[in-house]
Amino acid sequence: MLLILTVGALATPGFISTPSLAALLTSISFIGCVAVGMTFITLSGNIMSLCLGATLSASSLIFMAGLSFGVGPALALGLGFGTLFTAAQGLLVGYLRANPIIVSIAALALLVGSADYLTGGQRIYSPGDSLVPLTGTLWGMPVEALFLLASAVIGQIILSYTRFGRHIHMVGSNLKAARAAGVSIWRTVTGSYLLAGFFTALAGILLSARYGSGDMELGVGYDYDAIASVLVGGTAIHGGEGSVTRTLLGVAVISAIQVVLLLYGFSQQMQYLMTGLIVLTVIMLHSLGERHS
Amino acid sequence: MISRSPGGDPPAETPILSVENLSKSFGSVDALQEVFFSVDPGEIRAVCGENGAGKSTLVKILTGVHRPDQGTVRINHQTQNLRHPQAAQQQGIALVAQELSLAPHLSVQDNIWLGNRTVPLLHRRPHLRRQARRVLDIIGLDQLDLDRPAGSLTIGERQLVEIARMLARQARVLILDEPTAGLSDVEIERIFTALKELSSRGTTIVYVTHRLGEVFELCDTVTVLRNGKSVRSCRVTEIDRDGLIELMLGQSMREMYPPSRTSTESPLLVVENLKISGWVGDFSLSESSGQIVSIAGQISSGAAQVLRAVAGLAYDATGQVRIRGQPMSLGSVRGAQESGIRFISEDRAREGIFLKLKVLDNLIATRLGAGFLSWSALHQLASNLARRVGLDDLRLGARAGELSGGNQQKLALGRSMGQEQKGVFLMNEPTRGVDVGSRRDLYKVMRQLCDNGNLIVMTSSDLEEVVGISDIIITMYRGKQVARYARDQVTMHQVLTDITHPRFRPGERKTES
Repeated sequence: MLLILTVGALATPGFISTPSLAALLTSISFIGCVAVGMTFITLSGNIMSLCLGATLSASSLIFMAGLSFGVGPALALGLGFGTLFTAAQGLLVGYLRANPIIVSIAALALLVGSADYLTGGQRIYSPGDSLVPLTGTLWGMPVEALFLLASAVIGQIILSYTRFGRHIHMVGSNLKAARAAGVSIWRTVTGSYLLAGFFTALAGILLSARYGSGDMELGVGYDYDAIASVLVGGTAIHGGEGSVTRTLLGVAVISAIQVVLLLYGFSQQMQYLMTGLIVLTVIMLHSLGERHS
Repeated sequence: MISRSPGGDPPAETPILSVENLSKSFGSVDALQEVFFSVDPGEIRAVCGENGAGKSTLVKILTGVHRPDQGTVRINHQTQNLRHPQAAQQQGIALVAQELSLAPHLSVQDNIWLGNRTVPLLHRRPHLRRQARRVLDIIGLDQLDLDRPAGSLTIGERQLVEIARMLARQARVLILDEPTAGLSDVEIERIFTALKELSSRGTTIVYVTHRLGEVFELCDTVTVLRNGKSVRSCRVTEIDRDGLIELMLGQSMREMYPPSRTSTESPLLVVENLKISGWVGDFSLSESSGQIVSIAGQISSGAAQVLRAVAGLAYDATGQVRIRGQPMSLGSVRGAQESGIRFISEDRAREGIFLKLKVLDNLIATRLGAGFLSWSALHQLASNLARRVGLDDLRLGARAGELSGGNQQKLALGRSMGQEQKGVFLMNEPTRGVDVGSRRDLYKVMRQLCDNGNLIVMTSSDLEEVVGISDIIITMYRGKQVARYARDQVTMHQVLTDITHPRFRPGERKTES
């Protein structure tokens, strides 16, 4: 399937051109960071969070607003907000065993509501160009892509090489068995949400740095792209199986499809449709595969 | 082919179900090879064999889930081509699987008709209710309210309703797969009564089981499968338990249970006044290392709950627990683990192991240190554990769900082993659903663990196992301890009496040690 995609992508006029590839890489980076974060939530057996897109936007807003205090404090505030806000949801899901989807929807409403109230729906622009190092290119690659790479590497290391990461797999695979094995469920779940929030906030900051402004519209649809990437990559929707590496692959596939569609002139709506169809197909293939094993 | 006693009756009626030359392979694995099998109407036939002997493949072919590579299935001498489960249902073959498929929120009445193809779209309720009532009467549930939700029934009643459901499908051949796992003795009696009633009415029963005692108690005839072949079919009166085991394993089975030891050292585990609301009234024990202690009791006795509480899984248990003299608080799994408790759940699929994770991941699940993991060291550890417990260490990468029941149990045990500190192994029903060969392996490992200085406290509803493997036997009835015996001081009969109807009021302790 990957082959078909690669061939198709290469055959599209305008795909190979450097600006096109650079644009692809950049857009991958933003979705990718969120998808890395989403992977943690899905792996822990909590399906997905519908709030990550809004968290991205909110983090970007806070980052922009915090720039008046300097880049360092702004970074701390932006990252801190995203991380803690999502970790709080993780606490609800992990400790009280609340339904993860409902919690994320409630958090979404809370976030969008408060943001609207506080900012009146306006953008916040960055003062001056103190942010140039966060945009542009380094060694020929867009900086964002390097951040994505770093995030993916760190994420996968956590999953494969730490006890915490193994606990996430265990909790996602079988909650009762994990408890009987002595795993602290709430700590594991909260931790995975915390990481998700961190990577999402990172994406938000990078995004707003590139576009020079932060607002609540930035992250719209990112949750869907993120979960699509996670699923296409091969992480199981019910948790326990999967990896960040797979998610990266999924991100590449989804983004490539979107860019190809774009180059062929399809509208945004069409892209959503295709993404949705692909996710559906992947889920079906997964279920059929499970039935046979 | 049934071997009749010499000079016995001429071949009876037409066999209702027969299988000739049946073979089935899955890739390079020959699950069944030229199997012959034939049952008469009204017969109760046991099917025994180790895991991998082909029992479940045979059942799946009979119920239309798999199609044989070779051979024929005949019902009333008519060759059948069972393409899918519905075809089997139409022919009157029904399966009561180990995992019951009742819908807990639906009523008994609804469950009886669940999946029944003959129920028309617009059905007449009174008519269906009458039929449901009739079917329930046959199996002895005449007092059961048809409108009760199935989830409110005891597991034994649910089993009977499942059988009723099959009867409502006009089942002529009822296949039961390990139906008595998890049932109390009273409930098992009820099932047996129901099955015998059905048999007298002409329903044929095929009873797949590991429990050899039940074979002799319930069945008329038995078929033994080994390595995909049908080794022998005969009347139950023509063979004894040891003979059955020999047929199943292909070798003599004298040393099933390693010899017992008793210890006089200071106690390793002390439990005092353990109380679990709804289950256990006042339980105490004090046992030293190097022993296998069994707590025998029915499901309502609370034995399993005692172990779960000591393992930290009961949040409302009160009492004192001391390990090596050090107090341990109840209610924390981590705390129990750190004190040296290793718990192996009675429900290994749902609570014991991670079915979807690899064998490797399962074995190291509780052995992960803080900081960065070294996979080479973990791999080594997993290999060692697998070898100690009798698992093929080439299969470390396989998913736990692919292993047989016996291997899964070994996996559950292996996970808790290999730690420096000598501790207490708490095992609920350690050999439930496990074939004879794996059982023997498990007993060997358990004995080794004790010889190394650990203490094993287990519960089991298999009295032969209890009397065979334990050094000390504690009997429980309805949440209280009845008695404590050393192995050579008690018989299976005494244990059975204690756990079903102790001859004195529970609360009065009768202790012989």
